[in-house]
Amino acid sequence: MIISAHELRKTFTTRSRKGAQTVEAVRGVDLEVEKGEIFGVLGPNGAGKTTTIRMLATLITPDAGTATVAGHDLLRSPGAVRRNLGYVSQAGGVEENTTPRAQIVMAAKIHNVPDPAAATAGVLDRFDLTEMADRPGRTLSGGQKRRVAIALGLVHAPPLLFLDEPTTGLDPQNRANLWDRIRQLRELGTSVLLSTHYLDEADALCDRLVIVDHGRVVAQGTPGELKREVSGDVVTLRVAEPERAADTLKPYAREVRVDDDLLRVYVDDGEHTLPALLRALEERALSLTSIALDRSTLDDVFLAKTGRSLRDTGAAA
Amino acid sequence: MIRHTSLFLVYELRNTFRNPIWPLFGIVQPVVYLLLFGPLVAGASRQPTSEQLTSFAPGMLVVTALFGAIGVGYGTIYELRSGVLERVAVSPAWRPSIVLGRTLRDGVVLVLQSIVVIVIALAMGMRASLPGLAITVVLIALTGLFASGIGYGLALSLRDENGMAQIMQFFALPIMLLSGALLPMTLAPEWMQKVALFNPMYHPVVAGRALFAGDLTDSSIPIAFAVMLALAALTVTWSVRSLRRIAG
Repeated sequence: MIISAHELRKTFTTRSRKGAQTVEAVRGVDLEVEKGEIFGVLGPNGAGKTTTIRMLATLITPDAGTATVAGHDLLRSPGAVRRNLGYVSQAGGVEENTTPRAQIVMAAKIHNVPDPAAATAGVLDRFDLTEMADRPGRTLSGGQKRRVAIALGLVHAPPLLFLDEPTTGLDPQNRANLWDRIRQLRELGTSVLLSTHYLDEADALCDRLVIVDHGRVVAQGTPGELKREVSGDVVTLRVAEPERAADTLKPYAREVRVDDDLLRVYVDDGEHTLPALLRALEERALSLTSIALDRSTLDDVFLAKTGRSLRDTGAAA
Repeated sequence: MIRHTSLFLVYELRNTFRNPIWPLFGIVQPVVYLLLFGPLVAGASRQPTSEQLTSFAPGMLVVTALFGAIGVGYGTIYELRSGVLERVAVSPAWRPSIVLGRTLRDGVVLVLQSIVVIVIALAMGMRASLPGLAITVVLIALTGLFASGIGYGLALSLRDENGMAQIMQFFALPIMLLSGALLPMTLAPEWMQKVALFNPMYHPVVAGRALFAGDLTDSSIPIAFAVMLALAALTVTWSVRSLRRIAG
């Protein structure tokens, strides 16, 4: 177990003219991350993902709870925890006026890496950054900067790496590229804790994940387990009379959800249930605008657990 | 501890000298004062410019320190926004070294800036005591630590360019006028002279004047050193503590 956190809590107090306001950012989060796995924290913006990661990275002291990170007690020996982790924030921390090489060498020296220059050359090479290693940070593209940020967190070969929303703001190509690099970390035995509000990212990268909402864990497991929990397939229909259609289809489905004129019908075996669904609708003379059959996604898990769609909360999938 | 501090100091100095536009920018104002305001004061007091500069130049060194603090504040807010400070805060670096390395860098930069300003003043014909100049540079370095401590402390507490711009603007001008850097406080009414005593920047200006003039035993000198030493210790401690609350 590289991370074992229990009942972590954090409340922020903001003072304004209206008086003190408290925000319960994290209200009792438990996490168990195995050595060598890529573990995801999935949730909408404001769910408490970043706060959780920052607590585990020693940047914020939790109000309550306990955690062991990389073999050391988070509260009693934060220094030892810091020596064993790499942390890549959302902002990245890449300096504009300094070259990537100089920044990474400096990070290596602070971490007491025996041969900083060689370690830097190695990590630059691994992230295909050698070519731009000696240009000022400001001349790098968004995707390159993100790779420098990760290289900065990895130069001391930490057993554990935190990635806070690693692909936010990247174009699809750069995202796919970064996903490959994150997957490679698994082969090197580095454990990764990453937060994301992208469902496809959690699905594609994570061995296991927790879904958080309003500072609480609402579900956890492997992406496959979580999706199976909801049901195998989801049939999405657009119909004129959703309520009546829902009643009609209930006998065929594990669950039916109505969302305006949109009907989500969760079934175990979509291919074979679909004709039956269509027949039933036709018998009742219910008119249909569109129909789609999909494997259930983590969004369906989120919807099932919270009653809201991740897409509705402003995070695109 | 010392290893980390010197690592940060060397790293930051290298960054500064790779792009020395900001330190150069920092001496533009004092040099403009020296060139365009010094002669005016000399004219008003019916003294030759070369003589007047002995009492005018020390004030410009203090003004350089004051502007340095403002630059430090903006630089720090940038480092907060870009996640640089957060990144080093998660490293095993000894926490105070992160701020200490930067503060010492500011001290070194200020010493170099002061030497440039002094050389320009000498080129304009200023006559000054050599040991006095040397001691003044040390005093200015202390003043710089105090000023950059304020810059870091404010930036780390406010975390907002606008708030900081307002505070700096609000205080910079009165502090400059009440330090006697532009016109000596001996010209001021008594109440202003009393207020000036509570302006930290007043003391290095007065001591600097005595030092440039060669009055190495003037009582203002130990007072200025004591005040600046105490205040520098205070503001640097404050900025180190502010860094601890970086998470917010």
